[in-house]
Amino acid sequence: MTSPAFADAATISVNGVSKWFGQKVAVSDLSCSFGPGLTGLLGPNGAGKTTLLRMVCGLLTPSDGTVEVLGEDPRTTPSVYRDLALVPEEDAVYGYQTAREFVRYCAVLSGHPVSEVDDAIDAVDLGDAADRPIAGFSKGMRQRAKVAAALVGSPRILVLDEPLNGTDPVQRLRLIRIFQELAGAGHTVIVSSHVLAEVERMAGRVLAIVDGKLAAAGDVAAIRRAMTDIPYRVRITSAGPRDLGARLVTDDSVSTVEVDGDTLHVETTDVEALGRAVPRIAADHGFRLTGFEPEDESLESVFRYLVRRR
Amino acid sequence: MTALRTVITATLHQLFSGRRPILLGLLAVLPPVVTFFVVRGVSEGVALRRFHDVSITLLFILVLPLVALVLGAAALGDERRDTTLTVLVLRPMRRETIVGAKLAAAWIAVTAIVGGAAAASGIVLGVAAGVWEPLVPLVLGIALSALGYVAVFLILGYLTPRAVLIGLIYVFIWENAISFTVDGFAVLSLFRIGITGYAAMVDLAPRFLSDVLGSLDPGMYGAAAKAIGVAVVATMAGAWMLRRRDIA
Repeated sequence: MTSPAFADAATISVNGVSKWFGQKVAVSDLSCSFGPGLTGLLGPNGAGKTTLLRMVCGLLTPSDGTVEVLGEDPRTTPSVYRDLALVPEEDAVYGYQTAREFVRYCAVLSGHPVSEVDDAIDAVDLGDAADRPIAGFSKGMRQRAKVAAALVGSPRILVLDEPLNGTDPVQRLRLIRIFQELAGAGHTVIVSSHVLAEVERMAGRVLAIVDGKLAAAGDVAAIRRAMTDIPYRVRITSAGPRDLGARLVTDDSVSTVEVDGDTLHVETTDVEALGRAVPRIAADHGFRLTGFEPEDESLESVFRYLVRRR
Repeated sequence: MTALRTVITATLHQLFSGRRPILLGLLAVLPPVVTFFVVRGVSEGVALRRFHDVSITLLFILVLPLVALVLGAAALGDERRDTTLTVLVLRPMRRETIVGAKLAAAWIAVTAIVGGAAAASGIVLGVAAGVWEPLVPLVLGIALSALGYVAVFLILGYLTPRAVLIGLIYVFIWENAISFTVDGFAVLSLFRIGITGYAAMVDLAPRFLSDVLGSLDPGMYGAAAKAIGVAVVATMAGAWMLRRRDIA
């Protein structure tokens, strides 16, 4: 079975890449690939996400290893930028230009048709402000201007470094929908974000980076299941929770049980065995189950585990 | 070609925004004003000598390097420090095109400002003393030296945020001191590129500028070849750096 760190029909290959700045190791022997669809790139601040994305885009040279975009080294083959667009985290915009001028400027330099400029601006809902200088824009508006510039030409690969920073909830939904539509259309979309809930909502595949290394890859639930050394928490609601808890604690699959009102918080290292045990015990002893759900499958908790485990 | 023209236009806009052009413009006013005071009311010969002693020296040794330093260092360096360099390098353009466009824009800007000052000085000389011969050669000479200076300062501006400080040391220590005292170093002096070109086109200029020229021979083609050579080397070096160095 293919490792979840590697995508099918990869458009970007990262092969044993390391990057250090003086004594500081930002990325260490990292191998993964990205393909069509939306991949979330997660990690705490300083984990190496931005460094990895900048190497992918050819802005940084790997200290070791190689990066290939569509089979080419982006550092030496600028033609790959016809199919690759980056929305960087920093304010890479010209304050004196209007949003429309900026998007048009980027389109011309990329050789994309300027007729697509207005559509890209409308897509990010920047039409009303498009003819105002970017210098007067809020952080969120600047983000949207950068996203609009990246959308022109509909690049095969879209790399977004914290693209939702500073955007309001409505704009976030709009941008997420755009990214998902592109991913659904077969584009390779990589989103780095520290807003874990949003990545969880938009990305089917997640790569988690901690201390410059790939800590986990796959979908969130699979990552969580793979961490068998950390107890898995399940919330069970039932009538008579104390009695049910007393029965459950004797089962081999259960590590601990806490009772909180009519809710049981159960820790297990074998969630599948627990999933079989709970209905069986409930049926055998006449407990009526009203809820059985994982407590910590959110990216936030997965992430917390990954950081703690290292 | 469209991308090249677009980058040149945008860079010119950047270079001429803010207070920078006002300050540089005030500096550029200096040579024609000084020319006016030194050539008025004197004979043609005296006016021509004073023009070479004062005005040309002022243009080539002070105004041109300072304007070229400020604009040349800003052309690529500001993009790097403002983090907008990614806007340029993440495009399907040859790195030589990016550096070449930046160099061309800075050269146009410097030549417009200092060449304008040179033209104004030449016109003042022509009106005050009736000598028009230096006017066009002076502008051409400024354009040649401007190319050399801009090429060097463009790379310096990319490499370090202290480009202006280092550039000033270069201008005042190397160009205005060492290259005068050590005769063999004059050939490496950037302002002398334009001076040799100018001197080749104006009959009496080699005599008036003998202390500046030193062992150098006047020659327009040689000067042009040297200026273009410096620009080509700088463009190749800049492109290599864009390919090989990290763009933070």
